[in-house]
Amino acid sequence: MSVTENGLLERDKDTMTLNMGPSHPSTHGVFRAVLEMDGELVGTAKPDIGYLHTGIEKTSEAKRYAHVIPMTDRLDYLNPPGNNLAFCLSTEKLLGIEIPERSQYLRIIHCELARIASHLVWLATHALDIGAMTVFLYCWREREEILDLNEEISGVRMMTSYIRVGGVAQDATDEWLRGVRKFVDHFSSKIDEYEKLLTKNPIWLDRTQGVGVMDRESAINYGMSGPALRASDVDFDFRKKRPYSGYEKFEFDVPTRSEGDVYARYLVRVEEMRESRKILEQALRNLPGGDYRNPNSKVTLPDRDKLKSSMEVLIHHFKLASEGFTVPKGETYVPIEGPRGEVGFYIVSDGSAVPYRVKLRAPSFMAIPGMCKMMEGSFIADVVAVIGSIDIVMGEVDR
Amino acid sequence: MTSEEIIEKIKSELAGDILSAETPLGDAVVHLEPSALPKACEFIKNDPELDFDYLTNISGVDYLDMDREPRFEAVYEFHSIDKNHSLRLRVGIEEESPSVPTISHLWKSAGFPERELFDMFGIDVAGHPDLRRLIMPDDWEGHPLRRDYSLTTEDIAFSFNRDYKSELVKKKPQTR
Repeated sequence: MSVTENGLLERDKDTMTLNMGPSHPSTHGVFRAVLEMDGELVGTAKPDIGYLHTGIEKTSEAKRYAHVIPMTDRLDYLNPPGNNLAFCLSTEKLLGIEIPERSQYLRIIHCELARIASHLVWLATHALDIGAMTVFLYCWREREEILDLNEEISGVRMMTSYIRVGGVAQDATDEWLRGVRKFVDHFSSKIDEYEKLLTKNPIWLDRTQGVGVMDRESAINYGMSGPALRASDVDFDFRKKRPYSGYEKFEFDVPTRSEGDVYARYLVRVEEMRESRKILEQALRNLPGGDYRNPNSKVTLPDRDKLKSSMEVLIHHFKLASEGFTVPKGETYVPIEGPRGEVGFYIVSDGSAVPYRVKLRAPSFMAIPGMCKMMEGSFIADVVAVIGSIDIVMGEVDR
Repeated sequence: MTSEEIIEKIKSELAGDILSAETPLGDAVVHLEPSALPKACEFIKNDPELDFDYLTNISGVDYLDMDREPRFEAVYEFHSIDKNHSLRLRVGIEEESPSVPTISHLWKSAGFPERELFDMFGIDVAGHPDLRRLIMPDDWEGHPLRRDYSLTTEDIAFSFNRDYKSELVKKKPQTR
């Protein structure tokens, strides 16, 4: 058979080159892998990315800090609050401002809801890829509740932009908190439902156990992060190791497994949903009163009611809306734990109201070489399982 | 180890190779010449006290608009999984034929971000086993994240009055 530069088929040796993606339903976006096949076995897998490049890092260099936040939503579109938080933490570190406790709790509630929603999408699509249709419908049902909660508090179902520099966009109402409480109360039984369908299902075990194995050393060396790292026997979670935004006040476990296969990553993520539920429960129980954002009017917008009575407030509002706030010269990087692993923004500020350079450390981007390594030597049907188990989001890979 | 201890340790062991070492905002930051990068990386990876086994991020920065010498910089972020501390290495790169040695033989995770460095900034990564464009198409001209690569202008592919429109685009003020 003949060969083309980006060709589908090549048959010079005993191997065949097979093109997987970019528009394949199981590659979770526009990811392309060029597989060198020896019969049913994958010899080498070469990743090809860039199909979803949007130039967000370049665009950020022409936008004020507050305007970058809605763009960070679109990077990892399954975890918008996590990206907002990572960007805000880096900016706040440069600004050197404190965040009130209530605001930190609201951020945590929002991030943990997003973690559960993201893991639900992962479980739904991962199970669907391997052939379990029911799980898909079950997961979508619970995700819908979280999206409704998002809509109630931020006005948007997915791209919430709720976390802002200096705090959050608006205070949580009692009604919303009751809604979260309702979700937390019944979610535990829903996880049992998913587990009943999968955890001891012989077909699921056959498809996932011993597939896509990665040992501890390679996982660290390949820069895997999040559940993929913890399934390879590495106990590393930024929420525990370097608590940010008040995670040190919460009691939760970091699930780890030592097998390093697709099944281990499945178990770690399911267990993480239970831990997130625990964190949500504590956050709702201990939610303190007070301000929902830093009252520093140089950074956060003032109260709407005071606009009509105070001249200073009006000036602050005008200056913030027209010029934004300036950030002192410097550079920093603050990592957080997203659903897929370490998320962080490296921000360079030149002292103006516009970031000089914004670079996202995207867990999916760093995981792709390791993921392709896992595919090598496995059956072509397992490629689908491996991609699903790493849970890549192409929005943050191509940026 | 705290950032100060890391800096002290690196200062005493790599005194001749580093340009400066400090802790702005509490982060451990070390400045290097490109030629000293492989040696420094080997040291921080293999030293049992530092034990930086996890390379987390490589960012390029173009300091054209900040009037800083040298023009480019590659910024490496490291964590230690067991010791739970971090380090940032900043490597200044000259504008004239920019090049930096690879560290992908030490950390496999460096492969992708180093290709991105080449793709987005046009910085040659010497010794990289597979240095191709990563995100942009192979035949793309220019390096998008350089500061002199304009954000607003883009070639118009099909137009009956193409020249006229190009003029308009050139006249359009910068967004900043």
